[in-house]
Amino acid sequence: MSAVVDNHGHAAGHDDHHGYQGGVMRWIMTTNHKDIGTLYLWFSFIMFMAGGGMAMAIRLELFEPGIQFFNPDLFNQFTTMHGLIMVFGAIMPAFVGFANWQIPMMIGAPDMAFARMNNWSFWILPFAASLLIISFFVPGGAPGVGWTMYAPLTVQMGVGMDLTIFAVHLLGMSSIMGSINIITTILNMRAPGMTLMRMPLFVWTWLITAYLLVAAMPVLAGAVTMTLTDRHFGTTFFNAAGGGDPVLYQHIFWFFGHPEVYIIALPAFGVISQVIPAFSRKPLFGYASMVYATSAIAILSFIVWAHHMYTVGMPVSAQLFFMYATTIIAVPTGVKVFNWVATMWKGSLTFETPMLFAIGFLFLFTLGGFTGLVLSLVPVDVQLQDTYYVVAHFHYVMVAGALFSAFAGVYFWLPKWTGRMYDETLGKWHFWLTMIFFNMIFFVQHFLGLAGMPRRIPDYPLMFETWNKISSIGAFGMGLSQVFFLYIVLKAIRTGEKAPEKVWEGADSLEWTHLPTPVPYHTWETPPVLK
Amino acid sequence: MSRNVKTALLLLTIALTTFFGIIAKYWMLNR
Repeated sequence: MSAVVDNHGHAAGHDDHHGYQGGVMRWIMTTNHKDIGTLYLWFSFIMFMAGGGMAMAIRLELFEPGIQFFNPDLFNQFTTMHGLIMVFGAIMPAFVGFANWQIPMMIGAPDMAFARMNNWSFWILPFAASLLIISFFVPGGAPGVGWTMYAPLTVQMGVGMDLTIFAVHLLGMSSIMGSINIITTILNMRAPGMTLMRMPLFVWTWLITAYLLVAAMPVLAGAVTMTLTDRHFGTTFFNAAGGGDPVLYQHIFWFFGHPEVYIIALPAFGVISQVIPAFSRKPLFGYASMVYATSAIAILSFIVWAHHMYTVGMPVSAQLFFMYATTIIAVPTGVKVFNWVATMWKGSLTFETPMLFAIGFLFLFTLGGFTGLVLSLVPVDVQLQDTYYVVAHFHYVMVAGALFSAFAGVYFWLPKWTGRMYDETLGKWHFWLTMIFFNMIFFVQHFLGLAGMPRRIPDYPLMFETWNKISSIGAFGMGLSQVFFLYIVLKAIRTGEKAPEKVWEGADSLEWTHLPTPVPYHTWETPPVLK
Repeated sequence: MSRNVKTALLLLTIALTTFFGIIAKYWMLNR
């Protein structure tokens, strides 16, 4: 964004004395995109801890063969709620938090298009999360159906299932409102001269993600609504006895579910596309091809859903179609990985914490992508479906992909947001601890899966004990490392050194080049003019 | 009606049509 010629000087400090109430009411009533971004990020961290606590419980039970701490029903409830909370409560809100903070600043807009709706989008979330947590304490407990909520098991669950369905409805409403806000902001509120093809890639990835959300979330809402009517209103959408079809649920769910993978991954790609050029001190290689590759991934994500269900029974021709369509996704994804590496090529590299997490992302996400290719092959998937190989695969995508990217984003932008630096030494410790413990947990799970250990079981044969012990020790280390992350962030906010005006010399989007550090409460009341 | 509201209403229409459409489709197929 070096072509920006004028910011009218209105961004700086003079206007940050008004605009919000003090105390708790500030956070409840706020319509400021930065406040709401902060709320999203803290909420996602709390949910990350809650979902992480359940992961600890799962790994505690799996530390040794036999039933140690939890009965199988409670174990299933933990796996279900771990998945739902991490996907809908932790990862998605984290990137919406980044979107709220960054998109208006990056495109030269004063705020989101619908500021009050933005407040509402956020404040729905704590109620939805409460419903998920409360479901543990109602008769029958939380649903133990897995995060996919497959029929017909969902019809047999207790009242906890109804709370979960309502929570999913609320989470979906929040996501759709957030997406409408993001699309409208990006399409209509860019500063003069900020053409679509000059937007930072983070903004592009969120524009495409928001379209995915508008198209995919209503499908999930429809699926759980049909589940609800099957449970209480006498319909038989998914009940074979009444002429329905349980497999239909799987098709509808995964028609949402696979785009959901990219709803999580694309904003993560966006963060990485900001971080790598900044620490390579080079513009992003192949900007236009990045935009087209992101769009291609989004479109392809709608025609691959049945690769999640090769073994439920489908014609060979359908298996072939979904196999080839899935493998084709490797092409635009490969374009992106190539471009990130090419950006670093002959760059003036430095390895501060955000860059370490970005490079960690690059290695591990690519590994997760490769195991995805392995699983896309029908004959292989028939052997590996529902084993720990699948668990390892999607955690390489979700944790090493999305979570590493979120950490990169927090370390990258925290100095800009707060005006204070985090402790670089502690940040690097956080990276290496996370990197080592993450691989301890999940790399060995590939071996468990290849050896045939099924997922979603609280007990296992003795032959799997060693790898499970290593995995569990890694999980406890990973959990503690994230408490350490909380300490690093709090230390930075409270006593961190004052951040310099230009924190990262290679960062070149509008918030770095034309806004002071820390950014004032209101920015771009007069839009910048770009030539 | 502002441009922002028009954009939002268009997107909301897509979302609601998908939601009700998918339920209506399978409800009619199941009758």
